[in-house]
Amino acid sequence: MNMTPAATRRTPALRIWAPWLFAAAVVLVMPHFFGSGFAISLLCRMAIAAVFALSFNMLMGQGGMMDFGHAVYLGLGGFLAMHAMRAANAGLWLPTPVLPVAGAAGGLLAAALGGLIVARSTRTAFAMITLGLAEAIVALVLMLPRLFGGEEGINADRSEGPPLFGLNFGSPIQAYYLIAIWALLAALLMYRFTLTPLGRLANAVRDNAERVGFLGYSPAVVRYQVYVLSGLFAGLAGGMQALNDEIMTSANIGSNAAGAVLLMTFIGGVGTFWGPVLGAVLVTLMQMALGTVTDAWQLYNGLLFVVMVVWAPGGLSGIILAHAPLLRSGRARRLVPSYVRVLPGFVCAFIGTVGLAELAYRLQDIRGGGPPGGRVLFIPADPQTVLPWLVSLLLAGVGLWLMARTAPAARDAWLDAAAGVSA
Amino acid sequence: MTDAPPALRLEGVSKSYGATEVLRNVYIEIADGERHAIIGPNGAGKSTLFHLITGRYPVSAGRIYLHGEDITGLSSYAVYRRGLARSFQVTSLFNRLSVFENLRVGAMRVSGAGHSFWRRLDRYGPLSRRAEEMLEMLGLAGRRDVPAGLLAYAEQRALEIGLAIVGGANTILLDEPTAGMSRAETERAVALIRRVTEGNTLVVVEHDMGVVFDLADRITVLADGRVIASGPPEAVRGDAAVRTAYLGAAAEVLT
Repeated sequence: MNMTPAATRRTPALRIWAPWLFAAAVVLVMPHFFGSGFAISLLCRMAIAAVFALSFNMLMGQGGMMDFGHAVYLGLGGFLAMHAMRAANAGLWLPTPVLPVAGAAGGLLAAALGGLIVARSTRTAFAMITLGLAEAIVALVLMLPRLFGGEEGINADRSEGPPLFGLNFGSPIQAYYLIAIWALLAALLMYRFTLTPLGRLANAVRDNAERVGFLGYSPAVVRYQVYVLSGLFAGLAGGMQALNDEIMTSANIGSNAAGAVLLMTFIGGVGTFWGPVLGAVLVTLMQMALGTVTDAWQLYNGLLFVVMVVWAPGGLSGIILAHAPLLRSGRARRLVPSYVRVLPGFVCAFIGTVGLAELAYRLQDIRGGGPPGGRVLFIPADPQTVLPWLVSLLLAGVGLWLMARTAPAARDAWLDAAAGVSA
Repeated sequence: MTDAPPALRLEGVSKSYGATEVLRNVYIEIADGERHAIIGPNGAGKSTLFHLITGRYPVSAGRIYLHGEDITGLSSYAVYRRGLARSFQVTSLFNRLSVFENLRVGAMRVSGAGHSFWRRLDRYGPLSRRAEEMLEMLGLAGRRDVPAGLLAYAEQRALEIGLAIVGGANTILLDEPTAGMSRAETERAVALIRRVTEGNTLVVVEHDMGVVFDLADRITVLADGRVIASGPPEAVRGDAAVRTAYLGAAAEVLT
């Protein structure tokens, strides 16, 4: 038969490796541009969150499994890494750079057990079982204070381990490079997983589990294996976190941490491999940068999540993918006018919403005994008077009205441009 | 025929949901290498029979043998691993995967890819080759990288057949493979089915009597959950019980 086998249609090596080399370069030079203590700590958290979100998306995006208790594997991995660090502090020859491996082992073991319970179920039942299992494990962790340190958690000192090549990894910059290298390696391994038979079976189980059964594979076994591997990488993220924070507490295991990774992953987008990285970077930035400016950052995080799920279910990466072919063909320029017309409404609605949220937080603060008056969005405003509330409400209302009037045209413009590209 | 055990043998298979009996005491024997059609009015229990054979539902009574081995109660993947594959009446694909990836998943088991989470898919030479060959056979080579969910209906039906046969099973069950296809598409599909089932056993549920009499060596007629006739096409064509039970438009085709 005359045909071209797939094996001969190889993508050139450079095209495969270019994004990775770029990512590695970015990660390595980052501290030279953002060298403050705050920036380094922010970058470390981003890297850890990115690995965690990628492991979550192995289940969610690739395997169609919604894990509401994914932080369990990060937490248990982190605790095992913490104990390894303590053992190193006590004299065991265990160099600090390999501690994340202990985290990965912890995540793997825990998921190998947890998977036995959850992997038989699908969809809603799966999600609910993961939630219940996580609650049970958090309760268990609090019941075993000798292992998990109770409410205070357990701590250790990464610089007290045996030095390696003269490095003790005590300084933030050394820790950053350690974490960055682990993050790159983990991302590369998780990407590679998507190219393997099990990776493809995970997609197949996501799309149509029953049909997988009629092609010779047990969907439950596939789910189990993907779950265990995902637990391994979540545990690795936990080990990296233990290394970074030098403390693990039960809060790292609970539903807040599990909810955070879900938000990150969906904001970044579950439909691509790299979407969760984007989400992890953005949400961590919001959490740490916004968190120092306003108490309301979690509200904004939640609003962003809702807006994404409702209007851009593909997340940030979905938005980028929808525009990439238009940018390449030069058609994106036609979108600019209609997109710009949405902007005033968006800015109005944004300022109004933020104003309302900040006023509410200020009011709560004053009622709780804080100083009266103060500033909202850098403007002096007293939440105990009517005017700032009225202005914010008006801005939000007018902004939303403007957006509702201009957004359909922007959408049509995109549809036109996209149709032009595919035609 | 040699004295090899039949490819498929159903012994007194019954299926009921509560008080509703969908299949009663069905005996069917299909020789190795035979092309066998199962026909009957809507609701006769044809698809249910396929579901029982392939382990989708458990039987209420009776035994099922594949090449002499009792496969009653085995799960669908265990039945598949013993060499029996099937297609579905309601198209059942991996909608977000490309046509090529669909076929690759279908061929994975026989290509020894197992559950590997380390070796890359494109390093399994025979796997991609099989999928590419099947793309050509199905006439879907031009749609290689299109997600299955975006294919036209007839293309999805072709891929549905492809998924059942790409794994090289020696016993193939096709549930209304040509439903909804145009005349030309049907002819193409029948030619393909004939070609890939050469030397294998085929069981096909089909409403298109042209296809049935064109393809089948033997025919079993189901009505109301029971076998009312079984034999070579010409015998079934003249069977009085079939004529009374099998009314409507199809009866005219039988004459």
